[in-house]
Amino acid sequence: MINHLFLKQVSTEEKNLVFKKISMEPKNKQPILTVEDLSLTIDGKKILKDISFSITPEEVLAIIGPNGSGKSMLLKTLVGIHTPTSGNFTWAPNTKVGYLPQRFQVDHYLPMTVEEFLSLKRNPEYSLSEVFSLVKIEKGWRTKNLAHLSSGQLQKILLAWAILDKPEILLFDEPMENVDIAGQESIYRLLHELQETLHVALVIVSHDLNLVYRYADQVLCLNQKMLCYGAPHDELTEHRIKELFDTHALFHHDHDKNHTH
Amino acid sequence: MTDYFIYTLISGAFVAIASGLIGSFLVLKKMTLMSDALSHVALPGIALGVIFKFEPIIGGLLFLFLSIILIWGIENKTKLATESITGVLFVTALAIGSILIEEHELLEAFFGNVENISSIQLLIQTIIAIVVIGIVTKNFKSLILASIAPDLTYSEKISRTKLELLLLVLIALTISIGIGFVGVLLMSALSIIPAVTARNLSKNLKMYIWWSVIIATLSLLGGIIISHLTQSINPGVATVLISTFFFLISLFGIRK
Repeated sequence: MINHLFLKQVSTEEKNLVFKKISMEPKNKQPILTVEDLSLTIDGKKILKDISFSITPEEVLAIIGPNGSGKSMLLKTLVGIHTPTSGNFTWAPNTKVGYLPQRFQVDHYLPMTVEEFLSLKRNPEYSLSEVFSLVKIEKGWRTKNLAHLSSGQLQKILLAWAILDKPEILLFDEPMENVDIAGQESIYRLLHELQETLHVALVIVSHDLNLVYRYADQVLCLNQKMLCYGAPHDELTEHRIKELFDTHALFHHDHDKNHTH
Repeated sequence: MTDYFIYTLISGAFVAIASGLIGSFLVLKKMTLMSDALSHVALPGIALGVIFKFEPIIGGLLFLFLSIILIWGIENKTKLATESITGVLFVTALAIGSILIEEHELLEAFFGNVENISSIQLLIQTIIAIVVIGIVTKNFKSLILASIAPDLTYSEKISRTKLELLLLVLIALTISIGIGFVGVLLMSALSIIPAVTARNLSKNLKMYIWWSVIIATLSLLGGIIISHLTQSINPGVATVLISTFFFLISLFGIRK
């Protein structure tokens, strides 16, 4: 069922829009990230298998796939938290990367203000007030305690953290819990705006196909191995989405019951 | 007041500052029990020092480093949590240490004895404390980041695993210099209680670090002085009780 539901949400206008956007993109830019046959195995468990793709400046790549498909692990590998078992990835020289992890748990008793947290960033290129206005948070947040922020607010602080040193690319992992739909929507809108104003490339991990159609130039379907890679309107066929989500649904989550996402 | 006593106080102040600093990281990283257990690992090393007549602090340090390499290695090779490995290691070390040390010396090793610290040990302690304080100050931001959000250390110059190892080494160094004063069993009084107390009192990081250092220093110096004046109360015990007193007061001033 899930495949029909997802596809229904995407209007034809949106597809056309995406198509126009892609045809206008110049294709001769040097990639800032090249990933070749990257595989990751942890404790004998295959997490990623033969992943290859590249990202050029200002490109938006969406990575979609069911839970446990290795999306977060792929981002973690790209920032060096995990080392690939085989294959490799190359960042263009001096590329600055902004990474927003899926989980940023703040101990409810952590004695740290927003300002203190952001001051931990190495080589900031924006002042605090500049970065506050970029991610649209009020100056009063400066002295707020991190532990007092909601998950959505923390996400904005993380975003501020990620862009502080003017990165060329942002890697955004979908927040897993506690961020409500409105909060999610606003953070993605913010990401999109930042992508346009700061001219950064963007890699977003998401479940939301709507979002992929709206913002992404390229999409990568992931389920340990790479099931598709290309422009969303080419790659996200009904069959492909069924393959991507339904095989997994057997183990994870039964979508044929009477509920929708 | 003898010169020796003054040197003891000076050395104590440096050791306490290092302990307060490291303690604040331990509390942020939720490693308090781990460091408490780790301090017991020093016992066999101290025993060897006593038996073979070399500075016990050297033996303690040696064993602490061995166990850290072991913990770090086992943790990276197996799926066992640091806590579990430390749990196994520390009871084993405690048992071996207890066999090796004579009973009256065992009590000193457990609870500390200021009178027995040699001038050389005072000097070594002070130097190590200064080194610890220096390294922490220099890498303060990276270490804080590694403690509260390891996933965000990707853009640091030092890698995440190296930062974690550095923190372990700093913990070992701090334990080794504290046990002369407060003994292997009470070492946590010098690092954990001040940091936990500081957390109750602080609304930001700066306050938290400062309170932790101040309370550790007041507790240890207070402990040494009380022990010196009464000649019957053990310095480790006095230090614990003073820091617990601060902790109880801090409960009234909790800031959220």
